[in-house]
Amino acid sequence: MRAAPGVSNSRAAWLLLAPFLVIFAVFYAYPLVRSVLLAFQQTFGPGSSRFVGLGNFRFLLSDSLFWTALWNTIVFTCGSVFIQLPLALGLALLLNRPRVRGRALFRTILFAPALVGVVFVAMMFGVIFEKRTGLLNLFLHQMFGWNLDFPWLETYVMPALILAALWQYVGFNMVYFLAALQNVPAELLEAARIDGAGSWKRFLHVVLPAIRPVGAFVVLLSIIGSFQLFELPYIMLNSTAGAENRGLTVVMYLYQTGFQIGDLGYASTIAWVLAILLIGCAAAMRALWTTEAES
Amino acid sequence: MEEPNPKQRATRHEAAPARRFVGPVVILVLAFASAVVYAAWPVRRPPGFHVWTFARLHHQIYVPIAEQWNLTHTPKVNLTLLSLPALEQRMLSAFLARTTSAELIEVERRAAARAFVGPLDAVGFVDLTDRIRAEKLDINPASFSPWTARGRIFGLPHDVHPVMLGYRADLVEAAGIDVSRIETWDDFFNVLRPLMDERDEEGLPKHYLLNFWDTPVHGEVVELLILQAGGALFDERGQPTLDRATNAHVLATLVSWRVGPRRVVADAPYFSASGNKLLLEGRVVASFVPDWMCNIWRFEIPQLAGKVKLMPLPAWARGGRRTSVWGGTMLGISRSATDIDGLWTFAKRLYLSRDAAHELYTRGDIITPVRSFWDDPIYDKPDPFFSGQAKGRAYIDLASQVPIRSNSPYGTLAMTEVQNALIALVAYAQRSKRYAADELTGEAARLLGLAQARVAARVARNVFLAAEPLSADVRESTP
Repeated sequence: MRAAPGVSNSRAAWLLLAPFLVIFAVFYAYPLVRSVLLAFQQTFGPGSSRFVGLGNFRFLLSDSLFWTALWNTIVFTCGSVFIQLPLALGLALLLNRPRVRGRALFRTILFAPALVGVVFVAMMFGVIFEKRTGLLNLFLHQMFGWNLDFPWLETYVMPALILAALWQYVGFNMVYFLAALQNVPAELLEAARIDGAGSWKRFLHVVLPAIRPVGAFVVLLSIIGSFQLFELPYIMLNSTAGAENRGLTVVMYLYQTGFQIGDLGYASTIAWVLAILLIGCAAAMRALWTTEAES
Repeated sequence: MEEPNPKQRATRHEAAPARRFVGPVVILVLAFASAVVYAAWPVRRPPGFHVWTFARLHHQIYVPIAEQWNLTHTPKVNLTLLSLPALEQRMLSAFLARTTSAELIEVERRAAARAFVGPLDAVGFVDLTDRIRAEKLDINPASFSPWTARGRIFGLPHDVHPVMLGYRADLVEAAGIDVSRIETWDDFFNVLRPLMDERDEEGLPKHYLLNFWDTPVHGEVVELLILQAGGALFDERGQPTLDRATNAHVLATLVSWRVGPRRVVADAPYFSASGNKLLLEGRVVASFVPDWMCNIWRFEIPQLAGKVKLMPLPAWARGGRRTSVWGGTMLGISRSATDIDGLWTFAKRLYLSRDAAHELYTRGDIITPVRSFWDDPIYDKPDPFFSGQAKGRAYIDLASQVPIRSNSPYGTLAMTEVQNALIALVAYAQRSKRYAADELTGEAARLLGLAQARVAARVARNVFLAAEPLSADVRESTP
């Protein structure tokens, strides 16, 4: 009596899963497998493909452009993690204080740039960072006699990109931290205060451990987002990688290789190396959290 | 709430099997039905020839021609205006997947090059070489070069795009300078140098003589100057030639203009509001102006009307070439098309007819590549924007000097490498305080050698190019 309904349950489950499985197989699994194959080919459409073995991977190892792109991406990621996130946390701490007036207004103002599209931000900052006529150089020139020809988009591309991303995402990350801070148990903070802990010690020993899971999540999100950087430099630098490829990122190089040079096989190789790097990053972070949690 | 007893639960369980499949069945029926509806109701293309273009101006010119054509011909023509990136992506997707695209596709130089990466028989455009050769079309020969891959022509040229220098005639004439004495680049800087004596509030020259800088925005300018000097980034086989001595000489000279106490160039970025503002302020006296850019100046900087004039590019040496080339557009027939003869007839009507050439010049300031129309009096008409110069005639006089250029899919990469070599050379000059071209040529050659190796490595990876060397027969017979 019991076996039959069990079998029926299983059939029903498979039937219900079938649409998802079909879509997953056709639109996710198959392209994924094809992209692995593509990484070992040179191709010009499905009609013209040649198997090149590990040729694409060998070329990547000696491809100075790839390493430049990777280095630039790492620099941008460091800027995001070590400048943007501490700033976001600082703002969150500030706006979490009940004594600060107009907290809701400040939160809205700081979060607002995250609602604007990246394309718009890139176009706006492209104009702001212009030499001579750009708002930033003009402002700094008026205030401090700054060089009007300061080449933000030529020599200082990465600082310019980090600044633009900072403007857009600091408020977004602040909201995550703010949510985490509001969940820090008040009684713990109170107990620490009674025990004589100053604000720095309370932050270090109570607040920071309490918001660590959210912090780790934001760091991971920030790393993944930074490694996928494309639109911001692409538009700010007029569809180029900037002078001496200073604005070339891994995804931008992938795009150039696949869709401007037409080497889809090599582009696929770059994509897989990027994926492996990100998986490695995520695994390393997970291992770190597990170790910390256990200790 | 009362819990059902085990007996009730069992009864409910036994009654369920019939109903248990209702959910999945409904989902499957809906999925199947929507798939059938979707498949049976495809988006139908209107019948006739489909033409894609990326430029609003071109579209405006083509609409009346297509309407006139449709009155007397079948199949009828449907014009579609797309943004260049959209056109490029749709075209490449169709070519790579061998699906249907527009029958006629108008495309610019860099985008067309992307169709030439694979083997020749996989290029999505119809090979027009034999038709062009058989009909002996009277087209400026250099205009074919960007649409030629491994000796075969895949597009009908839209233009010639000679380049002149647009300069602030008001400033030059107010200083009593006679530009007719200018023949070479050295003459240009020597004759105009008095304009740099005027200083701004920072004590810097108020006017620099030429719009040029070592940024990617000026990349096309570097290429056009290399071509003008007789250099090239690729040979006719599509092999990179970045390390040519001429290229090194050009790079060294450009850096000598850009650095040191005798700097004569400034950055007024092309296609930007800030660049236009700097042109208007006279921060740069002269700028590179291909025929199509006259139209951009006319509409984007109307305040320059009557203040500017054109002059041929100064040559690299006496008796040398006085122009170069910047940009280019072609019309190609998609390989997926069936009525090639009909499309070829319409393509010629669109690109090679006298009234189309007339419209192209009067509305777009672009001169036609059809040489037999160059005697048309419209080209002699004075242009008030350019201080009454017969601008069209000035460009046509230079058209036969336009250099031949190859159009490699690796062109963007090569340009980036040359640009990077230029930047590195600027840094070297500033570091070593060597500002003369002669002192920089050696380093320029070294940097271009490295760039050449990188581009060559990338080209060498292309198994399709390696498998299809250019045949001597094709090379000799290409117009």
